[in-house]
Amino acid sequence: MKKRIWLVLCSLALAASAGCASSGHERNINDPTNSLVFGFVDMDDAPTSISYASIQQVAPPTEEPYWHLSVRKGMFYSVYLPTGSYQLSSFGGSGFFAGEHRYNFPRQGNQTALRIDRPGIYFLGSFKYKTEKSGMFEVGKFSMQKVNKPTEAELLKRILDEGSGVKDSAWRDRIQARLKQIK
Amino acid sequence: MTASRVRLTAALLALALGACAGPARERVDGWSGVGAGETVVVGRIELVPQLRKEEQRIDALNSGSFENLVYLMADDKNRVLKDEPKTADYDGRIEATLERTFFVRSSDHPFYILGGVLWLEIGRGQNKAYFPGGLRVPVKSGDKAVYVGTVRYYRDEFWNFSKVTIVDDYDRANAEYRKKFGTKIPLRKALLTPVK
Repeated sequence: MKKRIWLVLCSLALAASAGCASSGHERNINDPTNSLVFGFVDMDDAPTSISYASIQQVAPPTEEPYWHLSVRKGMFYSVYLPTGSYQLSSFGGSGFFAGEHRYNFPRQGNQTALRIDRPGIYFLGSFKYKTEKSGMFEVGKFSMQKVNKPTEAELLKRILDEGSGVKDSAWRDRIQARLKQIK
Repeated sequence: MTASRVRLTAALLALALGACAGPARERVDGWSGVGAGETVVVGRIELVPQLRKEEQRIDALNSGSFENLVYLMADDKNRVLKDEPKTADYDGRIEATLERTFFVRSSDHPFYILGGVLWLEIGRGQNKAYFPGGLRVPVKSGDKAVYVGTVRYYRDEFWNFSKVTIVDDYDRANAEYRKKFGTKIPLRKALLTPVK
């Protein structure tokens, strides 16, 4: 069954986006308790591409639940997440004509919900942005539809090649092992 | 729209609930607030696991209006709420503080709990959790005080509800009722029933 979620689209100044996605978490990239969480969103039909993203830690409870995600051409990832429960919180980006936009995910019924019980590599999936109908006086709505491309392997290769410091970290062996596993 | 305006929008949307929606069923603490043909409805909403402080991030002037508060949409006719509840759906709501017994004034006719809303975030964005409804409040004509039970919602950290139970906690509720309303008029037990 095609699963869809309704999301709220808000416009927002870039200045705020930088502040909102503050990770506030200091972890070493080689910490063995880190997990890699990643995914992709095709924003071709969206008002803007994405330049930032955040994931929310919903368990265990924390005063700083938002983790910044690295974003590269639709791909988003973090190599620092400790065990816990997470779901995507928001994306954002800007376009010359569209201005600044922020794309918020709901706390309930969020199809990116993820439980990390032990350190590892977790693929949230690849999605396509789709604008949904909304009333004239309503905020914009959109859904995220799961798509098959890019695949987990394709994205892992990109993280290895493009991820800041990933190739020179403990993640290289872990990602390569995962790539062998899913071949 | 600027960052501050997004905050403002969320806060305004929240304030609009208070400003535009019809009144809630009024909370009462004694018989002086209850008229002829009216009933005191006594009940309680619980979450399992309980709401944690960090799960609600209310950055609004009237944050106290939202913290630990579930808005239970109620109507004389049963119906299924589709999509986001409209402002009119909030008319006659019950504002139930989690884990605390509520005492509200209502007409002495049966009504239905259509669903509930709990604000999780106002400020950075706005986010809500939606509670399932489909419960009948079996008030009878002539009732003066009715105990409807504790609605216990079981959920996970992602706000997926797995189970809803109606718990009979009459003794505790009755003790609280007697403190507020005295012993002259007994509290009739009439637990909520799921709508078939």
